[in-house]
Amino acid sequence: MDYKEKDFIQLLNQNQKIIHKVCNLYMNWQEDKEDLFQEITLQAWKAYSQFRGEAKFSTWLYRVALNTAITFFRKDKKNAFIDTVSEMPELTVPMDRDPIEDKTKAMYEAIAALSKIDKAIVMLYLEDYSYAEISEIIGITANNIAVKMNRIKVKLREATLKNFERI
Amino acid sequence: MELDELKGLINQKLMEGSPNMTENNFTDLLKGKASSVISKIKKSLWFEIACCALVVPLFIGIALFSSHSSLKIYFGLFGAIFIPFTLIFFYLLKKINEFDQSVLPIKENLYQLIKMLEDFTRRYFQFNMALLPICFLLALYLGYNEKEPIEILDNLINKFKVTKSIYIGFIIGYSIAMVVGLIYLTKWYIRKLYGKYIDQLKLLLAELKED
Repeated sequence: MDYKEKDFIQLLNQNQKIIHKVCNLYMNWQEDKEDLFQEITLQAWKAYSQFRGEAKFSTWLYRVALNTAITFFRKDKKNAFIDTVSEMPELTVPMDRDPIEDKTKAMYEAIAALSKIDKAIVMLYLEDYSYAEISEIIGITANNIAVKMNRIKVKLREATLKNFERI
Repeated sequence: MELDELKGLINQKLMEGSPNMTENNFTDLLKGKASSVISKIKKSLWFEIACCALVVPLFIGIALFSSHSSLKIYFGLFGAIFIPFTLIFFYLLKKINEFDQSVLPIKENLYQLIKMLEDFTRRYFQFNMALLPICFLLALYLGYNEKEPIEILDNLINKFKVTKSIYIGFIIGYSIAMVVGLIYLTKWYIRKLYGKYIDQLKLLLAELKED
């Protein structure tokens, strides 16, 4: 293993949370998550020779991971189902339910149902990137990001309420 | 229930069930094979280039050393047409490799990917269609110059009392059906391979149109 590969693996290891988050948000099934994880890792490695360190590695990795996830499609029909088994509504209502946990779950399901582009914007927003930084990663103006983010928030609020009632 | 209120919890939930990877795991992952559409196209291009590399010298050899003029023309033309296509395939491969190593903003990435896929499918279609008239006209030429009688055909012509006009009509009908059939078949095949994917990418790009 050469020093470049070693450096890359070290950086990837330190920033692996980013890839995990993207995989969890974009894929519903474990097998698909693993495939996407591998795809992002390989894509990042291919592009690493062009990484000049102008941006932070984490920002660069977000760009690679989101580009890969957005253009990664599964052919099988599994994707027709939105929820993973763990996110399916429970049939029996436990006595000691935590309302915050239910709210989080309802919000998470609402985010999972967003379009691929909206998911990318939400993911960067959750990471506390500014609109200007998000606009650089997405490739549209910061104003447009702000408009989109407002719309997404409204969409999420409505969907979360519906999901919360169902849960 | 606002997104901002649940930011931290959602971030935690996004990490749920994720295994902690070690450096060794990453080393293993780097040995794996990519399954993206770009790697699929690369494989396809390498296959086309390998076929061209095999066929060009073979066809040119036949054209140079055959004693039949029809075979010389047939294989000579095919050998010649494969040369520019090999160069086009190399050019596409170079563009794809450049793209594969770049990290563009999402919108630009989608735009470039769509452009590349459309370029590839267009060239693929042109390549197939360019061969069609050559195949067809040369087959007619070879058939016309064929000195040896073909018994089955002669028997059929005698049995059904095929007149010259019916014969010509049949040839024209068959040619049209074959050309139209092949055009549609090629279009259908290309669409089956990449059409749906391009449509999905276009929808994503449309979402990023500035308001």
